[in-house]
Amino acid sequence: MPSWPAETKYISHSTLRIDAPAKVSGRARYSSDIQAGGWLYGMILRSKWPAARIAKINLENALKIPGIKAALTVKEGESTVRFYGEELAAVAGTTKQACLDALRAIEIEAKALPFVVKENDARSEDAPRVWPNSANASEGKPKEQGTVDQAFSECAAVIEGFYTTPVQLHHPMETHGCTVSWTDEGVTAWASTQGISSVRDGLAGGLQLEQSQVRVITEYMGGGFGSKFGAGVEGLMAARLSRAAKAPVRLMLTRFDQALAVGNRPSSFQKIKLGAKADGTLHAFELDNYGTAGIGGGGSTEGGGGGIAIPAPYIYKVPNFRVKHTSVAVNAGSARAFRAPANPPASFGMESAMDDLAVKLGMDPVELRLKNDPSAVRRREYSLGAERFGWKQKYQKPGSSAGPVKIGVGCAGATWWGGGNKRTQGEAEIHPDGGIEIRLGVQDLGTGTRTVIAVVAAEILGLKPEQITVRIGDTHYPPGPGSGGSTTCASVSPAVFDVCTQALQQLQTQTGVPDARGGNWPAACKKLGTSPLVVHGQWQEGLSSGGAGGVQFAEASVDTETGLVTVNRILCVQDCGLIVNQITLESQVNGGIIMGLGYALYEERVMDHLSGVVLNPNFETYKLPGLADIPQIDIVLLNMPERGVIGVGEPVTIPTAAAIGNAVANALGVRVSSLPITPAKVLAALGKVPPPTARPA
Amino acid sequence: MKDSNTDGLGVQSRRTFFKSVGTVAVTAATAGAQSVAAELEKANAEKIIGPGAVPVTLEVNGAPLRLQLEPRVTLLDALRNYSSLTGAKDGCDRASCGACTVLLDNVPVYSCQKLAIEAQGHAITTVEGLAKNGELSGLQKAFVEKDASMCGYCTPGFLMSLTALFKKNPHPTADEIRHACAGNICRCGTQPHIMQAALQTAGATGAGSTTEVIHA
Amino acid sequence: MKAFQYTTALSTDSARQLAAGNGAYLAGGNDLLGRLKEYLDSPEILVNIKSIPGLDGITAGAGAWTIGALVTVAQIENHPKIRAVFPGLQQAAAEVGSPQIRNVATIGGNLAQHSRCWYYRHRDTVCLKKGGDLCYARHGENRYHCLFTGNTCISPVASNLAIALTALDATVIVLREGKETRMTMPELYQKAWDNPTAHNSLNPGDLILRVEIPVARTRSAFLQVSDKHAFDWALVSCAAAARVHGGKLSRPRVALGCISPMPHQSAAANDFLEGKPLDESTVAQAADLVLQGAQPLAFNGYKVPLARTLIRRALLSLKG
Repeated sequence: MPSWPAETKYISHSTLRIDAPAKVSGRARYSSDIQAGGWLYGMILRSKWPAARIAKINLENALKIPGIKAALTVKEGESTVRFYGEELAAVAGTTKQACLDALRAIEIEAKALPFVVKENDARSEDAPRVWPNSANASEGKPKEQGTVDQAFSECAAVIEGFYTTPVQLHHPMETHGCTVSWTDEGVTAWASTQGISSVRDGLAGGLQLEQSQVRVITEYMGGGFGSKFGAGVEGLMAARLSRAAKAPVRLMLTRFDQALAVGNRPSSFQKIKLGAKADGTLHAFELDNYGTAGIGGGGSTEGGGGGIAIPAPYIYKVPNFRVKHTSVAVNAGSARAFRAPANPPASFGMESAMDDLAVKLGMDPVELRLKNDPSAVRRREYSLGAERFGWKQKYQKPGSSAGPVKIGVGCAGATWWGGGNKRTQGEAEIHPDGGIEIRLGVQDLGTGTRTVIAVVAAEILGLKPEQITVRIGDTHYPPGPGSGGSTTCASVSPAVFDVCTQALQQLQTQTGVPDARGGNWPAACKKLGTSPLVVHGQWQEGLSSGGAGGVQFAEASVDTETGLVTVNRILCVQDCGLIVNQITLESQVNGGIIMGLGYALYEERVMDHLSGVVLNPNFETYKLPGLADIPQIDIVLLNMPERGVIGVGEPVTIPTAAAIGNAVANALGVRVSSLPITPAKVLAALGKVPPPTARPA
Repeated sequence: MKDSNTDGLGVQSRRTFFKSVGTVAVTAATAGAQSVAAELEKANAEKIIGPGAVPVTLEVNGAPLRLQLEPRVTLLDALRNYSSLTGAKDGCDRASCGACTVLLDNVPVYSCQKLAIEAQGHAITTVEGLAKNGELSGLQKAFVEKDASMCGYCTPGFLMSLTALFKKNPHPTADEIRHACAGNICRCGTQPHIMQAALQTAGATGAGSTTEVIHA
Repeated sequence: MKAFQYTTALSTDSARQLAAGNGAYLAGGNDLLGRLKEYLDSPEILVNIKSIPGLDGITAGAGAWTIGALVTVAQIENHPKIRAVFPGLQQAAAEVGSPQIRNVATIGGNLAQHSRCWYYRHRDTVCLKKGGDLCYARHGENRYHCLFTGNTCISPVASNLAIALTALDATVIVLREGKETRMTMPELYQKAWDNPTAHNSLNPGDLILRVEIPVARTRSAFLQVSDKHAFDWALVSCAAAARVHGGKLSRPRVALGCISPMPHQSAAANDFLEGKPLDESTVAQAADLVLQGAQPLAFNGYKVPLARTLIRRALLSLKG
């Protein structure tokens, strides 16, 4: 079984991100920057009806707009739209302006249908049906263990709460889209994607081509967070437009589009009942959860993983529990996997309930977790974190800090699986002049994949990372993993390990040099003569695993006179398996925490029940944390080489909102149990908000 | 795309030329962009142009970019779609994310909300113009050293906002850095490292990582 | 954006002529271009007014300062003397948007900007303000909407400079059909109070020339609270201004933003505050008077306690 070296020069240290110079200089070309020769601008027309029967789409006048080279409908014949923003048609033209004019020239004959966009409206019997032959609310099979009702009566303390989380939007800074060229030779797509293979397969399937006729290239992409798998309607339309116009088409979505049609995290409305024995041992748990994944769960959409069900009782083992989930369809864009699907809402509900229970028991929240958390690693993280955080000094009875600005602290834990994709392959091409290229069909979302490859290769070959030329993001390279599930690092690291191990063996075989590492490298390569050596390798068992934990502590100040929440500090204790590259890992941790901060305090997709539109399809009213909102973030990493490489991109975003929610509840002495925790909700929780006055309509 | 070449004409004859041709183009010399702006306004004042494409000359990173653009084309659109200067990014096209930030006479603006024709006569600096003779600026180097880019899409915008700050004030405080970057959004979560890079460039404390690694 | 013609005006007369019919004045463009991108407006010609002479000065006069309409919000924010003479105005300027916005936004454009109501701003909801027959916010998502209104539209005035200038009792000089017209801040927004399709009292073709701010109120303050700590529209804002003699208020003014189509004032509150000491009891009573008659909707009731807090803090900060 292969194993990582015990002493390392680069692994577990910090190598600067190798593509940083390209990014800071503006040289990095993203899918939205590609300017293939003769390229056209593409644009999609979307439904302004939340539900409608589309009888006819007339493209005649669009085609007359100067500069327009192609216009196509998404579907043939009549169709039904089921959400505001559903794709209807697309155009390609020589300028953005031509396309804007062309979209406005498309005529639609449509019959508006009844619709429903709010979960609570959709659940009622007489709500309009999103799908003709099914009720909007679809109850999953309840899971039950033990004797729940009996168990509650045996508890010394029982709490009940209703915890809710909103629909959250991925909003990567680069929108979805691609530049596609479809010629007789096949399709080349420069896609903003987390899975070049998934785009290749989606295009091949959707365009009825062979997979070998489709090539996908992603050298740089501007974030995905789970939403960028598959070709998307935009990919297919870009390809079809390209074929029709006989030119490459760059079709990038607008920020407006991003709020409508490319995925989201489902909402949750969690009615929780939690009970414990006098000593704090959890004894009974009940969850009745509903939420929306839009018109359909993520299973039927790109990438899967978008269902409303959440793991419960999350990280805890409770002997008696009953869990029920109800998926509520609404006329809104379908959910997609979003960084740690289902876990942030699960953590929020469960960990809020834990803190409420701790208060009822008169027990320290960290003590309650140490009592009940089944994971030894997490228990260690809680103890370590509590000490680093100064928990014992900071934790006061809820609402007991003096003055109008109250301070409170909270904590929460996470779990994630991950693991490596055993199908990951790679190759190295070693040149007689000593140059080495490592090629892998994987993409770097900003997570540092390129750098991880260089670091592992450098380590195994005894070279410096800057000596490694890393080539990724092309389906012509050996197949790599999709970048999701926190599996990328655990997939590519073992694959590169194997590629480089094989390379050294083959160099020995071919050149007779017994150990080509380090100082011997140039001479060994020279012996290759005129033929570069190409070596293929594959993911190997024993170098990676899954199963990360992680805990976070938060301190928040809440101005009880304005309701404003300021998070002062977050401390994260994260087990990492073998840290491959510390500085880029640190960035991932920061990123996850900041995403959790946004979820806790600012983010919410708002639907309007009268018009059925998304009311905040922009960054003005869908709010993301800015520099001024970022707290002090302290990170403690547990380097555990014996566990091999474990991805942590997702665990680090799971408990943040829960920890913040608990800190706010601790500060106020009363809980805001609904995310995002806005000033409005804080003031309401404090009983300061007057009821609405009755008014004429 | 046709150039409207007015090289070699003296000031007086340029004015006459414009009046007869009705163009808004001018060769913007690297020095004296301001006086050219004034001239240009006078020469073209009250002349109605568009809605079709008109000649537009933009001085970008010290070099002229001669384009044919409709008046409704934004500066961001001009850079990204009519030239190879794709450094400025399109994050929202609604003046709310900062990915499109460029400098106009050293002042940060959202290029998505600036008409290209109105950017004439100003010295436009994009991220591609920060490095000198192939060497990254101190701020760019700090971004590399502190890992202040992840996907990198927001990076050019932040660099422009901070470059402008450092031009005005070489030693800003953490609050001044936050204030200068208030109009820039990052989704990946680079903000803490951006702060470290900026503090390092300012020669201030607090630029170091506080991460603790425990070897289990 | 739809295609448009473009021209640069060199005088206010030609600006008016060039924009007559279906034209729009283009200053900073933050508001106008944003509206054009959503097809809320489609002028056939944009008239650049940034070259009109005489509109971009800041002049300190004996009794009042004059700020030209083309002065940028950044210039106001960074002006070394404005922060001393009109601190409330400087504080309001510093909170407008982001640095990139402040660098091009003009005070004239800021005052004239259209509603930020998300139904008004949405390309596909034809609300009352856009000539439709329904105010979606009334029974819809009204967390950002008015506590007071004179008509059926409940979208609040968006400009926070307007709030600061109201407390400072500023006058706006508007060129209307070739003649200079003076408007108090309430007059500038009265039409928005009366008429659901109006954002302010400006008629098509009107051009804001300058703002005059009397120096009488030597103390002023502006506060706002948003969901975020920066670059976020205010949930509620408050400006206060007065002279303070021996701890007592003289010529006090309190104005609230984000809760009415106009900067919200209460004459009763201003009268009550005159001559009173700056203490908790006074400010609490004043807040009651300012908020008298507030009519919370389903989701904006939080603005009442928030406004109360901001009134208290803004007034007490005048103590110095």
